[in-house]
Amino acid sequence: MFAIYRRLWQVNWAEQWQYRADLLLFLTGWLISPIIFMAVWTTVASAQGNVNGITAPEFAAYYLVLLLVTIATSDTTLNSLSYKIMGGGLSYQLVVPVHPVLTQMLVNNLASKALQMAALTPIWLILYLLFHPALAITPTNMLLALPAITMGFLLQFLANATITCLAFWTTRGGSIMSLYGTIFSFLSGQIVPLTLLPLFAQNAAAVLPFRLALYFPVQLILGTFTVEETLINLGLQLIWCLVLLVVFNLVWRAGLKRYSAVGA
Amino acid sequence: MFILKLLSTYLKVNLQQDLAYRADAIVNMVMSIIGTGWDLLGLSIIFANTKEIGGWGPSELIALMGVWRLVNVMMATIVWPNTEKFNTGVRDGSLDYTFLQPVNSQLLISITRIVIWRAFDLAIAVILIIVGMTGGNVVTSPVQIVAFLALTISGAAIIYSLWITLISLTFWFTKFDNSVTIMAALMDAGRYPAQVYPYWLRALITFVIPIAVATTVPLQALRGELVDLQILGFLAIGVAAVIVSSRVWKAGVRRYSGASS
Repeated sequence: MFAIYRRLWQVNWAEQWQYRADLLLFLTGWLISPIIFMAVWTTVASAQGNVNGITAPEFAAYYLVLLLVTIATSDTTLNSLSYKIMGGGLSYQLVVPVHPVLTQMLVNNLASKALQMAALTPIWLILYLLFHPALAITPTNMLLALPAITMGFLLQFLANATITCLAFWTTRGGSIMSLYGTIFSFLSGQIVPLTLLPLFAQNAAAVLPFRLALYFPVQLILGTFTVEETLINLGLQLIWCLVLLVVFNLVWRAGLKRYSAVGA
Repeated sequence: MFILKLLSTYLKVNLQQDLAYRADAIVNMVMSIIGTGWDLLGLSIIFANTKEIGGWGPSELIALMGVWRLVNVMMATIVWPNTEKFNTGVRDGSLDYTFLQPVNSQLLISITRIVIWRAFDLAIAVILIIVGMTGGNVVTSPVQIVAFLALTISGAAIIYSLWITLISLTFWFTKFDNSVTIMAALMDAGRYPAQVYPYWLRALITFVIPIAVATTVPLQALRGELVDLQILGFLAIGVAAVIVSSRVWKAGVRRYSGASS
């Protein structure tokens, strides 16, 4: 099993390097919007002292940590799955004795993430110098953040994989995915810290699992949670991961039954 | 006259193409209404926490969002779809056929593909601008409105010229389509007034990818913040950009040798 993962990693790592320029550009394009939010909120906060108790350096810290956590937890490769389902490319992967999504896609994702992280580091340092964040990271928080980030990644990966599986039934999965993406970005804290959302959205965010994927790991690194809160949230993450794993497997199996490869 | 006829023919062809995917168009229109809703929600979050941002109030930012969408309509209907077509043309040599036509090649590569249903966004943009303008307590004179319209058009022309220049560079560097990707990314910065950004980002979106000139500047004219000389200056830059970019395009075309030859 370990050998399979190692080999898959080698293949995917090499594959990612092949498109390194595209990756860098994707990263640049993707970075613009969080930088804009960071600029807008630090301007507002420094004009009036603070926004809802958050000062400009704290906003900078929030968005800078958010950048790292987003790269670490986001999924960048699943959209290719819907093409494989619709175009029939999935057939090749189905005959290989590893799970196309839970093994192949997962490793593919990790490889692209590793390279993105490497490319982001120098940009991040420059942003750090430009925005003067109030960032005090303790080793304890970093250690606790590791499982939080890992499970945050699994949450996003499994949720996206489940939605992508809709491609077995409809060709309009793209619109559903982008609608989901917008809701996710608001309720996971990607746009603004959740405490700034209108009250109804805050309540929704508190109940829904989106915040576990992004907001929780970010706040954990920033050190705003007590030990008790941290443990509760880690537990919630674990529960949601298991729920999503079951849901994904059900949808995947039902989808495969419907799958009739194009050209087969 | 000839150009109008050509344009209407291309519009017709593209309309027929898009009509084949009616459901898609409707889904996309609904998505763009939802997108506007999210944008407004984003603004409301900002203004729930502050009265003004960089000296701009909520209704002014709604108007700015409208102007930004206006520029975006241009990008989405012609610029991005034609970029795709152009890049393929350079790679597989089908651009040859474009140059064989007895028409200005720059015009031709700009209007071959028109995503017509995107023009729906035009309505949203105009509504946003009108709502934003009437909502604020800024009194606008007819002269300011004329200046606003003129600067919006010239701002869009500057962005268009930048695009023509960037794709012209393909003739020298073969693979240069990535520059357009970066341009697309920076367009997003036009949603907020340039005064909000730190100096380096402001410089970037004013001088390198001048989206601020196409969005912030027209609104400043509407607010009466610009003196006549500035307005004329920006219009002159617009005209100069169009002339220079078409020169660059022509020089590039002379270098073109076709993918197969």
